[in-house]
Amino acid sequence: MDNKTFLIDVDKCTGCMLCSIACKDEHVGSSYEPWSKPQPDTGQFWMNIRPLERGRIPRVRMSYLPVHCQNCENAPCITVCPEAAIKTRDDGLVWIDPVPCTGCDLCLDACPYGVIFMNDDLGIAQKCTGCAHRVDEGLEPRCVDVCPHEAITFGEVKDTSQLETYLAEAGAEPRVYWNGLPKPWIAGQVIDGDEVIEGVSVTAVDLAGDGSVGVLSDAFGDFWLMGLKQGRKYRVEIRMDGYEDFNADVVTDADQDLGTVVLKAK
Amino acid sequence: MSDEKHKVVYVAHPASGLARSNFPLECHVEDGEIVRSLPFYIPDDVRLYEIKTSRGSFTRPRKEVQMPLAFAAKRRLDAGTRVKYPLLRNDWSPDNPNPENRGKSGYSRISWDQALDIVTGQIKQIHEKYGSMEPVLVQADGHGHSGYMQSLHFWGHYLFDMIREHLGWGWWTQQVRNPDSWEGYYWGAKHVWGFDHTLGEPYQDAVWDDVLESAEMVIFSGNDPEATGLGMSGSSALEMPKWLKRAGIKIIAISPDLNYAAAVHADKWIPLKPNTDAALYFGVAHTWIAEGTYDKDYIASHTTGFDEFKSHVLGKDDGVEKTPAWAAEITGVPAHTIRALAREWAAKKTSLSVYFGGAKVRGTLSHLATRLEAYVLAMQGIGRPGRQFLRTGAPSFYKKDLAQVPRYPDVDFKGVAMNPMIEYAIGKGPISPIFVPRTLAAEAIQCSSVEWRGTTAALAKTEDQFEQYHFPPDSDHPGIRMVWNENGSQPGSWGHGWDWLEALQNPKIEFVVGVHPWLENDIPYSDLILPAQTSYEHEDLITVQRSDILAMFYQDQAVEPVGESKSDFEIHRMIGQRLGLDEAFPPVEEWLQAAYEKTLAATKHGIDWEEFKKRKYFVYDCPTWEEWVDIKKEHGYGEKDGGMHWFWKSGGGLDTPSGKIEFVSSMIAERDPDNTERPPLAKWMTHAEQQGGPKSEEYPLSVMSNHSRFRFHVQGDDVDWIREIAKVRGPDGYLYEPCWINPADAAARGIKGGDIVMVHNDRGSVLCGAVVTERIIAGAVSVDHGAKMDLATLHNRLVDRGGCINLIAPSPKEKYGEGEEIKVPEMNVSGYLAEIVKVDPAEIVASTGVGEGATVSHG
Repeated sequence: MDNKTFLIDVDKCTGCMLCSIACKDEHVGSSYEPWSKPQPDTGQFWMNIRPLERGRIPRVRMSYLPVHCQNCENAPCITVCPEAAIKTRDDGLVWIDPVPCTGCDLCLDACPYGVIFMNDDLGIAQKCTGCAHRVDEGLEPRCVDVCPHEAITFGEVKDTSQLETYLAEAGAEPRVYWNGLPKPWIAGQVIDGDEVIEGVSVTAVDLAGDGSVGVLSDAFGDFWLMGLKQGRKYRVEIRMDGYEDFNADVVTDADQDLGTVVLKAK
Repeated sequence: MSDEKHKVVYVAHPASGLARSNFPLECHVEDGEIVRSLPFYIPDDVRLYEIKTSRGSFTRPRKEVQMPLAFAAKRRLDAGTRVKYPLLRNDWSPDNPNPENRGKSGYSRISWDQALDIVTGQIKQIHEKYGSMEPVLVQADGHGHSGYMQSLHFWGHYLFDMIREHLGWGWWTQQVRNPDSWEGYYWGAKHVWGFDHTLGEPYQDAVWDDVLESAEMVIFSGNDPEATGLGMSGSSALEMPKWLKRAGIKIIAISPDLNYAAAVHADKWIPLKPNTDAALYFGVAHTWIAEGTYDKDYIASHTTGFDEFKSHVLGKDDGVEKTPAWAAEITGVPAHTIRALAREWAAKKTSLSVYFGGAKVRGTLSHLATRLEAYVLAMQGIGRPGRQFLRTGAPSFYKKDLAQVPRYPDVDFKGVAMNPMIEYAIGKGPISPIFVPRTLAAEAIQCSSVEWRGTTAALAKTEDQFEQYHFPPDSDHPGIRMVWNENGSQPGSWGHGWDWLEALQNPKIEFVVGVHPWLENDIPYSDLILPAQTSYEHEDLITVQRSDILAMFYQDQAVEPVGESKSDFEIHRMIGQRLGLDEAFPPVEEWLQAAYEKTLAATKHGIDWEEFKKRKYFVYDCPTWEEWVDIKKEHGYGEKDGGMHWFWKSGGGLDTPSGKIEFVSSMIAERDPDNTERPPLAKWMTHAEQQGGPKSEEYPLSVMSNHSRFRFHVQGDDVDWIREIAKVRGPDGYLYEPCWINPADAAARGIKGGDIVMVHNDRGSVLCGAVVTERIIAGAVSVDHGAKMDLATLHNRLVDRGGCINLIAPSPKEKYGEGEEIKVPEMNVSGYLAEIVKVDPAEIVASTGVGEGATVSHG
């Protein structure tokens, strides 16, 4: 069997929610045994979009994370299940067998991704099956089929060297790969009096290491230092001929916005 | 694939309307239930278009998705809100209609026979009592769930037209649908550059060829392809911003809110206070004038009246120079950013993009925003390469000669069936000489007389805006006595909704008929409700006309009708039959076949009706790039030309009296020079709904309102899957309509995310769930229109717990005194004042969910 998996591209996701709704359309009221019993009408999101509002007015953007079962190699849900009801298929899709599942809910807490739900009516735990019933017929999972932006794809992922996994630190060794997971930014705007300044050199120097990231301010005086490391201390150096240097130390525990920086002419 | 147990049916999706549609969904039906709805894939043997430019080649995917609601719409079939049987209001009788109880009293099931007796009896009674059908206000102009023919909402007009023609009972009062989504362009920009046929927005001929070849920057002026675009045009609207990015074109979003497309696609967001776009454009124009960076040659050859505009910008006429600093005060955009925008706009080939126009064109004096927009586009030479007015998706009529993307002109002209019924809703003028604009429906009932200018018909000529009209036709006239409501959308989609609900309780109104599939909006204010079907329940045509690819589909009946529901057509046919109008209502199949047989699928491609019904669809090929270049050549366009190129080349030919872009409207100057609300030159002016005026002391926040991402106008707000993703769960567990509020405004009022808030002004109150966010400028709040009403009581006052924000939007009449002529009967559903307070859930007294406490008995 093909060893296909999901590839999520955060840079392409617009948060349209079609994946969530298509998942409900497929699974609410429909049984695909042995892989799944019907999802309840509401309350479960086997595929969900986690919206991240980033920045401060006017430099605000949204990042959306489509999160579903990460089909972990070292799945805590499998380890914790007392009934051995959670299994990995030959193709790597992890599923909860509804027959042995007793609905003890231990897997809900064990999952680092929060993608397992209790079905109180059926007394079982439920989650994304990777649309195993469709995959077996050579079809794409519904969330992939409906995604208009190719943000969620399903296929052979041969080279994973440039890809990331989500919450890798949880140690579950997920088999879903990601591109563009949000990294903190430092943004701001440079002005002189009542005019924006274009072409100002803005550099973030990583005070813990030897790396630095640099950009020039744009036609609106805005600068965005993207893709910084989480939780680092950076020295932001703003340099422009004819102006006094401006420095600020910034910790990237989140996206940071320096607001409007007024440069002083020499 | 189809057999008894499992069949595949193509069903028009809920954002269809006006007899036009998008691509349908592929619905899988098993044992009489819709088990899943899938995107449609355009078959491989259909040739897609390619836009070839020096920046690459652009096309669209074969996969065609629709808005999330489309995939959830099956949940509405048997929803709790569904009208399954004819329902009669419990305390209505012909002799004692108890009008004041509309919206309060319950309903009981009656038979179709009884229902038809009542409705025809009431029609006859109107005729006997008043001598004509003029006392019947027919509201049948759309904004609801609608297919090509069977669930079309225009049949009321047709029925009364047939009563007139065959029974000789005279005219009916036609509610004329105003150009709701285009308001500002219709009342404003038309006076600058014409475009009567496209409601004041420039033609879109081959515009993408030019933009993708030459543009360097595109301004999204409130445009949201991820919300309105997806709903109206499907996948194609989602592709277009990606084309811009791939072509290396910068996207600048200007809007009070960081909308869904801006949040992911914009390189720069310029937040401004709601409906202050005109002031921003003044600041931009001032920068260009001060720095000499506008196209002076173009101004000289292509426009008239610029000197007067320049003089106004420089404050020579009124002593107020419209500098960026002046604009900053009004708009909330810093002067340095306004100047930076102006400089980028002048230096880079810049187009301006909308879908319909966004919230800025639906507020008080919205003619200002669009006229200023036309002015500044003229100052940079609209029609020059890369400088266009760009719609991210355009229904096929948006043209002079050619489609927006490469399509065969004959496919645009004859590829999909046109339904002649559209003339009743989107026409050059009302069919009945007795009419009222939809914006003044409440006033037509509540006031002894209303006078206004302009029919408000979508395709009316600009000249019509100066014609004087009034209702009722004379002082002895009985006025409106019966309401025929097929829209079910007035309080949610139009303004001053509370007024409309009160109008329905007016003692003059003897009878209200609602024809609708659901108990929602103003439908529970009817005396008799006739159960209409959804598209799943009947066969129909699907005319794909809003997409970039045109197609015809045959829609089979997917499931058995719910309860005793009938199609809208069938309901009107049955009524017509009782009145002896059988001949006016031929069988559905006959009607559909005749419409299909006029299309190219039949006439050119030779697919007869029976074969079409078997094939289920016909998707039209697009021309190859080489063919497209030849087609363009025939119409005078070079390979790379598009958009307003023809005007740039010719310098004339617009619908304006001079044929040029008119800064000073010669038509207003000639016909209505003293109208201070809309003078010949668009000048900055203040109005009652602006911040800084006396009213804003009590109501300091400005409400902006968009099309919802998850509803289609008022449709779909009852779907459980939509509610759980689109609403805010209050501390009481109730799902409230989101109200976006800036952290500063929230902090000043002690409001936290998830709190229940009351949005209120003089017109009333609605409850919402607070979303504290950086996505809305300070001083403004954003609530999408169309939430499902759920009336409740708070401190002994009636409030809407559903968050239907248009209930508290202004009436166009408010600007005028009683009995005064309404000079611009515009729609105001965004950019008006309100205040917000936090509400304790313990103080809310809930209703039963229908009207003000009505219940339904199916017993």
